[in-house]
Amino acid sequence: MNIGGGDIVQANSSAGPTRRAVLAGIAAAGAMPALPALAADAAPLRFGLAMPLTGGQATYGQDQVRAAQWGLDAINAAGGVNGRKLEAITLDTQADPQIGIQAANRLVSIEKVPVFVTAWSEVVKAVAPVANDAKAVELSVGANSAQIAKLGDYVYTTFPLADVDITAVAQYEADKLGKKRAAVLYINNETGIVAAEIYRKVFTAAGGTVVAYEAYDPKATDWTGQILKVRLASPDVIHIQGLVADTPQVIAQLRQLGMTQTISSYSSIYNPRLIRQLGAAAEGVIATSLAPGPADSAAVAAYVERWKKEVGREPNGLPYTQYLYDAPYIIAAVLRSLAAKSQPVTGESFRAEMLAIGTFDLPLTGKLVINADHTVRKPVYLMQVKGGAWTQLAVVG
Amino acid sequence: MEYLYTILMLMALSVILAASFNFVIGYGGLISIAHPVFYAIGAYVSALLARDAGVPVALAIPLGAVAALLASLLVAVPALRISGDYLLIASIGFQLGVLEAIKNMTWTGGAGGLTDIPALFGRSTGHAVYVALAIVLAAGSVLLLRGITRSAYGRAMSALRDDELAFAALGRNAMMIKLGVFALGAGLAGLAGGLYAHYFRFLAPDQFDILQSAALLTIVVVGGMRTVWGPVVGAVVLQALPQAITFLDLPPSVLGPLQGILFTGLVLVFMFVRPAGLIAAGDLWRGAAVPDATAGGDGAGRA
Repeated sequence: MNIGGGDIVQANSSAGPTRRAVLAGIAAAGAMPALPALAADAAPLRFGLAMPLTGGQATYGQDQVRAAQWGLDAINAAGGVNGRKLEAITLDTQADPQIGIQAANRLVSIEKVPVFVTAWSEVVKAVAPVANDAKAVELSVGANSAQIAKLGDYVYTTFPLADVDITAVAQYEADKLGKKRAAVLYINNETGIVAAEIYRKVFTAAGGTVVAYEAYDPKATDWTGQILKVRLASPDVIHIQGLVADTPQVIAQLRQLGMTQTISSYSSIYNPRLIRQLGAAAEGVIATSLAPGPADSAAVAAYVERWKKEVGREPNGLPYTQYLYDAPYIIAAVLRSLAAKSQPVTGESFRAEMLAIGTFDLPLTGKLVINADHTVRKPVYLMQVKGGAWTQLAVVG
Repeated sequence: MEYLYTILMLMALSVILAASFNFVIGYGGLISIAHPVFYAIGAYVSALLARDAGVPVALAIPLGAVAALLASLLVAVPALRISGDYLLIASIGFQLGVLEAIKNMTWTGGAGGLTDIPALFGRSTGHAVYVALAIVLAAGSVLLLRGITRSAYGRAMSALRDDELAFAALGRNAMMIKLGVFALGAGLAGLAGGLYAHYFRFLAPDQFDILQSAALLTIVVVGGMRTVWGPVVGAVVLQALPQAITFLDLPPSVLGPLQGILFTGLVLVFMFVRPAGLIAAGDLWRGAAVPDATAGGDGAGRA
């Protein structure tokens, strides 16, 4: 059992008339989870946004919602969807599967949205039956569990799943950096287990040997045992597959215990905070980013500046917020295309049109290809700490 | 409607869980807070039987309940032989152990959760029927437990709870009653688990952790321990309340703390204002009055 629920925190003040208009349209059309045809009136078009706004993950969730709202504001400032405003109905999931299910149910059955955006792997998986049953499109934006590609006809991701960046970093270390002996330290949960296995397979296939393969408990605060085993194995590269909270501590402990080898991880540690936390110990650490950074794109640089100016800091998990900023652009593009064909907006028509368009050019994350097999293709940016700052090492794919 | 069905489903499941937990801790006096682990066992066994072994869902759900019942005996047989306190420790250990095992095995879906669980009914008509079934089973569970607590067996349970030594001195087998109470409570929790699994079709081990034990205890305490209708009222109120506050359109800065203190706050308020819960047990000997010569009972079961 579980207690709690999703909550509307940014319901637009015009939600009342909108809902009546939507219900009237549905009554007239006899359709279930559908919005009325776009040409019927000038009421706003709506989509759902189910993210953690409270609880332990709220630090990230709130920044991501702010980014999505900025994206939405920019779309509406540029005329919306053929003159109609695009609105997000934002509900809290607390990153909890059960509360996510309630939020998703409310979005598709009360708010009747044809598409909703959500994140956090467990929530994405838990609400998949809701999306599939209601034939409403669930867009996973930021969760990277490889299972997400297999959750059903109406579940799609706009974020590359775990195999994309882990494959890139393992391949690069074996091929380009000439590493032969890798040690893998991973957190003993789904994120760690699946990705560590991908790293091991790719690194081995590229001609390297995995000389140590050590799991640690998600609640661990000391990693000495695992690190000493890694040390005994004498690797020339150490890959850490942990979470944003524990990975910096693992790196710090590795350095304290005299390990000077190259350390790599993935997108969760690509954050200015890592360098602030670790200082000199961060030097040489390799991470991945699945979105261009401020140095690669003027739009991203302006976006980061906006954060500093309006919020007084950089966003938590910059690349994730970039994906959230871009999500409304995908939705707007599909809705425009449906309007051009005078098709009604339903989950079914949205899904078909999204796959028909396939390729989207997005302001902060660049080109995105949504494949029919529920995966996406994106380049991977390999980043390395040099001289106390993240610098680009290579772009793969 | 789906949203309403979800809330009704959660309320029905909470009623089964709270009523069975109240049966164990309130009427039986068996101090165990690991009730959610039997909920988890029922859910996982039913889901895995239906998904991987091809067992029909309608059969898998009761098998899940049986598995939870048998698992409860595994804990209770050694723990209850020693003393009540050991049951608390053993049950928490069992809860943590089972959840860790689920997290670390691939065939349970691991920490990331179990997906692709088959539904009991088809998509189009299923949910209304399913919710109705859950409500009927919840009502049936409450009536079953009410019947037991009002029977001679119920009076024996109360006597055992209040003075085990005196009870044993009367020549009654305390161990068998404890095992029976614990197993029935766990079996009903397992039934709720099976119902949950095939409705929501996703399970993750964190849904059954110690925080859920606390939430369940809150429902029973706020509703009224050792009463038939207290856990029912507690389950309905405490499922509805968090839903209701989400419609207030509060900003996250208010809502986050509000959700955080809702349950703790309620327990504190009830401790001072209404320590017996929303529905108070009539007296310490609720359900345990000595039958008089004429009626065979004196209304001890009024709850």
